[in-house]
Amino acid sequence: MSGFANERSMFTYVIGASILFLIGVFGTAYLPFYDDQMQAPNENAELRNYSVDSAEYRGREVYIREGCHVCHTMFVRPVLADSALGPISQPADYYYEAPAMLGSKRTGADLMWVGNRWNADWHREHLINPQKILPGSIMPRYDYLSEQDMEDLIAYLMSLKPSPQTEGRPVN
Amino acid sequence: MVTQTSNDTYQPTKVFFYSSLVWLVIGMIYGLILALKFIWPNFLVWGPLQVILQFGRIRPIHTNMLLFGWLTMANIGALFYVIPKLCRNQLSFPKMATFLGYFWNAIIVVGSVALTMGYTTVTEYGEWPLWIDILVVIGVGMLAMICFSTIANRNEKQLYVSLWYFMGSLIWLPGLYIIGNLPYKLLSGVPQFLIFWFYGHNVIGLWFTTVGVGLIYYLLPYLTKNALYSHRLSLIGFWTIATFYVWNGPHHLQNGPIPLWLMKAGIIPSVLLIIPVWAVLANVFGTLKGKWHAVAHNTPLKFLVTGAIFYLITCLQGPFQSLQGPSSIVKFTDWVPGHAHLPVFGAFSYVAFAVMYYVIPKIVYHHIYSNRMMETHFWLSTIGLLLFTFSTWTAGVFEGFAWIEGAQYGLQFVEMLVAMQPFFWIRAVGGTLMFLAQIFFIINLYKTIQLGKKSQNTNESSA
Repeated sequence: MSGFANERSMFTYVIGASILFLIGVFGTAYLPFYDDQMQAPNENAELRNYSVDSAEYRGREVYIREGCHVCHTMFVRPVLADSALGPISQPADYYYEAPAMLGSKRTGADLMWVGNRWNADWHREHLINPQKILPGSIMPRYDYLSEQDMEDLIAYLMSLKPSPQTEGRPVN
Repeated sequence: MVTQTSNDTYQPTKVFFYSSLVWLVIGMIYGLILALKFIWPNFLVWGPLQVILQFGRIRPIHTNMLLFGWLTMANIGALFYVIPKLCRNQLSFPKMATFLGYFWNAIIVVGSVALTMGYTTVTEYGEWPLWIDILVVIGVGMLAMICFSTIANRNEKQLYVSLWYFMGSLIWLPGLYIIGNLPYKLLSGVPQFLIFWFYGHNVIGLWFTTVGVGLIYYLLPYLTKNALYSHRLSLIGFWTIATFYVWNGPHHLQNGPIPLWLMKAGIIPSVLLIIPVWAVLANVFGTLKGKWHAVAHNTPLKFLVTGAIFYLITCLQGPFQSLQGPSSIVKFTDWVPGHAHLPVFGAFSYVAFAVMYYVIPKIVYHHIYSNRMMETHFWLSTIGLLLFTFSTWTAGVFEGFAWIEGAQYGLQFVEMLVAMQPFFWIRAVGGTLMFLAQIFFIINLYKTIQLGKKSQNTNESSA
């Protein structure tokens, strides 16, 4: 082992590891902010840019608190597996999403445009007892939510609709 | 005079190791509850438990507790033992190191309480709220200071391979933790989601993986009594993982709303990762040359070699599923948790098990209580993990094709879930075996520690 004199200094490793790390950070975590597609909001983004005192905003907070994003994505891809879910997601749709909840696991269905799918009464019944509406569902019951939380959450889910501008966007 | 435990040079390692075992048990109980909720969604829906153990709230508790409570604490305990050995000196700031152990436990407790109450930042594996993230960064800062100071004051001039990996990991962990946990209201949209996955992927690849590989390089020559096979391969392995790993985040948005250049920038390095993985594995197999028979009756070595093989499988599977075609089928399905358990349980928890079986006898001065229990630990873990992963992979492929057939929401989606029940059962059985295995592990270590204390006391009284 004595023949590797260059391996006696910590600096090669410290500096090399730092530089390679920073290059990757620059490429994958910093540059995307400056990509044209990420720069501007569209109408969908405006529709989802809720004011802090709206029911939809509070509903989104309930959505986050209860961890809905753990099982539901908001991420429609140009692939066959997403062909019935609605318009394909574009970066501009998410412009104001903070925190972004595109998700990583579909234990339940995708919710990107769930506002188009059902009405408020359906959501209320379903959230209180999912198995009653969809026998065999493995979604937990949310019958413990306060009335306020429940109505806010439904308002948020119902707001997840594509804007008219999205019509004509390819769906598969 | 008798030296009491307060002067024990291994005290920091002991605090970290013993605490990590507690988090291993609690974190796996959370995992089992999750697996059972796939079968009975109303499992433990009883009074306040309905909220406290609600699926969406406890999944991040399961992941954070096992990643940061179990595996990170096991890794830190190992670093505090291995670094001074490789440097032929004593750990710097031993009191701070022991304090860090208690501090880290407090972080896991408050983090889990915050998640139970529904305070989450949504960042996968970084769900803890900002004020806890600040505590983590302070803790990681202390860790880096202790380790770098120990390495800087070394008596052995040559830096062994393991130390390169440890130094890299100790630079990368604070870097990626800070970037991944920036206040989430400051950023937004797809670039923010890219940062989430920059963090989520790299915390596995530039912390758990690189510390684990460093530990493999440390243990393997001891357990096989062979010299490390190739110095050049270890060089290639280290510098290629440092170059490519950090670019992997974007593949989590495969087929998603990101520009094409970024998709390529994420996928190409994912495929190139096969180079550092193979460099490590070639080195492991080379070092084992002529010693394979020892794997049969040396359980720590069995854990280490199996862990290395699980690492290889993970990193062949990962590049495959990052490609556009395979991703369009298995992404978002139960395939993903199968893939995720392979590195963190299969590969690097196995390395941590091997490290504990090797290190604990040295720090409590007593050989492991029972070889049979070690073997039981190995086989239950391995059979359990294989049941878990194969059931989730199979279910994932079925789910992907069911979506292609149109089962994307509503009743059709639920019909697909009903058809997956047999796989959810196998997953739960596999998880139960993995959990039972750890009970053997912990009882065995507890007995060893007790016997060590007893024999030390008799030595002291006879001295």
